[in-house]
Amino acid sequence: MSLKTETILVLCEKPNAAMRIAKALDKDSDPEKKILSKVSYYEAETDGKRLIVVSALGHLYTVAPKIMDRDVYPVFEFEWVPKYKIERNAKENKEFIDAISKLSQEAQEFILATDYDIEGATIGYTILKYACGGKEKEAKRMKFSTLTTDEIRKSYIGLLPHIEFLTVEAGVCRHFLDAMYGINLSRAMTVASKRWSGRYTTISTGRVQGPTLNFLVEREKEINSFVPTPYWIINAKVEINGSIYEAEYEKAIVESQAEANDVINSCRGKTGKITEIEVKKFTQNPPTPFDLSTLQTEAYNLFRFAPKRTADIAEHLYLDALISYPRTSSQKLPSTINFRSILESLGGESKYQELTAKLLRREILLPNEGEKQDPAHPAVYPTGNLPERILSGPEKHLWDLIVKRFMAVFGEPALKQTVKVYVSVDRHRFLLRGSCILKEGWIAFYKPYVQADEVILPSLVEGEEVKIKDIAQEEKFTKPPPRYNPSSLLKKMENEGIGTKTTRADIIETLYNRMYVKEERMVVSDLGFDVVDILSSYCPEVLSADFTKELEYKMEEIQHGKEKMENVLNDALNHLKPLLDELKTHEKSIGQALSEAVRKARLQGRVFGNCPICVTGELLILHSKRTGKRFIGCTNFFKRTCKASFPLPQNGAVKPSGKSCQICSWPMIKLKLKGKRSWVFCINPNCASKEGKSK
Amino acid sequence: MRCGVCNRNSESEFCERHKKAYENLMKAYKVWEKSLGISWIEYLCRIRQNANAGLWVKEVVQHLLVQNARKKKSEHDEISNI
Repeated sequence: MSLKTETILVLCEKPNAAMRIAKALDKDSDPEKKILSKVSYYEAETDGKRLIVVSALGHLYTVAPKIMDRDVYPVFEFEWVPKYKIERNAKENKEFIDAISKLSQEAQEFILATDYDIEGATIGYTILKYACGGKEKEAKRMKFSTLTTDEIRKSYIGLLPHIEFLTVEAGVCRHFLDAMYGINLSRAMTVASKRWSGRYTTISTGRVQGPTLNFLVEREKEINSFVPTPYWIINAKVEINGSIYEAEYEKAIVESQAEANDVINSCRGKTGKITEIEVKKFTQNPPTPFDLSTLQTEAYNLFRFAPKRTADIAEHLYLDALISYPRTSSQKLPSTINFRSILESLGGESKYQELTAKLLRREILLPNEGEKQDPAHPAVYPTGNLPERILSGPEKHLWDLIVKRFMAVFGEPALKQTVKVYVSVDRHRFLLRGSCILKEGWIAFYKPYVQADEVILPSLVEGEEVKIKDIAQEEKFTKPPPRYNPSSLLKKMENEGIGTKTTRADIIETLYNRMYVKEERMVVSDLGFDVVDILSSYCPEVLSADFTKELEYKMEEIQHGKEKMENVLNDALNHLKPLLDELKTHEKSIGQALSEAVRKARLQGRVFGNCPICVTGELLILHSKRTGKRFIGCTNFFKRTCKASFPLPQNGAVKPSGKSCQICSWPMIKLKLKGKRSWVFCINPNCASKEGKSK
Repeated sequence: MRCGVCNRNSESEFCERHKKAYENLMKAYKVWEKSLGISWIEYLCRIRQNANAGLWVKEVVQHLLVQNARKKKSEHDEISNI
């Protein structure tokens, strides 16, 4: 290539995407991999032009306050700064910024090829503006939903004339708002706690985090003040043609024991008569295509993957060009993606061959689309590419789920039948239920991810007599509402309209990291309760989902060109200022309450469980005064009533695992050695689980 | 004033958390009485054992049972003195 050849810099979001884009655009599909200050990039040639394809590492810039002193608040002046200057774990970003800056000097044209959504646009905008020296206005834009060669080439041919400025404005506004609320409120609480206790502990909240934690606290309050009430259920065993079937009493809930006794006494040992048979046939439509949140919900229900884990695995599958862009709200599948060719390619995998062939025999392929839309991307679908590497177990599961869901949406409605048989005994009625699938339809494509519990009843006629072989009552109690889990909380956030499809899973992770919640069924800690108590006393607006929802709406309006960032930021500033004044006025009492909560949380985090020797004490990590070595000891040691102690490894981080040993029921601990996987083991030196290990 | 259960600041015998639990406890007794015909103390004992009862409810129950035991003891002492 001559020196005068035009050079185009193609900016991608992730290294894997850069590799795929370079390969797809190079005339020989063999771009040259180069390295500049530890950063890989690719040189490709297309239509006689030299392409430099380089990637970022997600966000290279972040919004930071101009006053960096963490003890100062309120702060209302913010700016974009390189992330490595702010975050300890972002040192690698400097190399990327330096490499992109240098490579941009060789380029005459710029193409943004980051993910086509609000974050992708913002990532690209900040890099083009700050690392490439103000190229954001002249850069062109590639728009694609999959990293397949075909789509990348099409996207390059049909380049958009500029980046999506309105989306960028909305993205920038979101970052400024998040920083304004998050930094000020978190600083206010952290500083209050630090000034009271003299110890620094990050206590965070934000415009989405606060309302989300509040949902959990409200639910926890309901659970903690729940009083169960008794009720009874009555089940009978009915003999039909020598087989026994379970029948339930017509009233699902019997409110008093006397009434339950009365039913049992009147029906025991009697013969019943079938008085009515009710047969209902109904169709069940196929599921709709996956948007990110339904994918996260389904993956949690089926595989127990936390939402963030599902999003991360889906991202890997997308970067491998196996599925389309997963951060989508759409439940639509446009025909332009060519359903037939995707199914044909998927048929290359033996396990899908039969199912795809079944669909391909159809003349028309029409997906059962849902209502949700996303202007940027279609629903999540398999690209038709087959894995080029061995997928990990979780990746395999998720890809299979996405493939089967894609096939199922083209399936015919399933035809099901339910049968209700009413058996009268004395003056009471019992109910036999049967159900079966008459025509599988879409279910055939979605196995094993759909459960079909069939109960087949024998053929029965009205007037037939049946024998009551056994009848029993069971005392039950009403239950409190269930705790949220990461999946149901994500759904709640979505229904309440707070956060975005990209940020919700991260917010949930933060609640765990800050020790506001623990366990999979999200139990709010004392610290979580106290943070919400304090915020609701001094600035309840921060916990209101309505306010955050309104901000989300305004940001959407910016994206549609109906609102301006300046107005939204000014409104937010006017809202936030008095709240921060209030927090400052009560800094002392807030600091005292938070410090106490942090102290309790720390102590709780050190407790391994009840002492198995004295039962009343709690086990903590203690240090020997003589040797300085750590061990687990009982709190009753200080009262001189228990001398229980258990040895600990002297290296690595030790934490309570929250579990008990399945063999001896003693508490278990979690040991994490640097660079190794964590190890959970029982503290009981004589536990049978350790037999043979020391030999 | 301090909450009789958790010692938090409160405006009455119980703080906000335990007040709500106490109110629910009172309300639910009507259902238990109708369904099982049991006494107030028997009810409290059964709630204390029930896995579905909330933590704050159990704390209030414990507080009420201790109060009741103290009351009985002082009544017994009074009778003994007579």
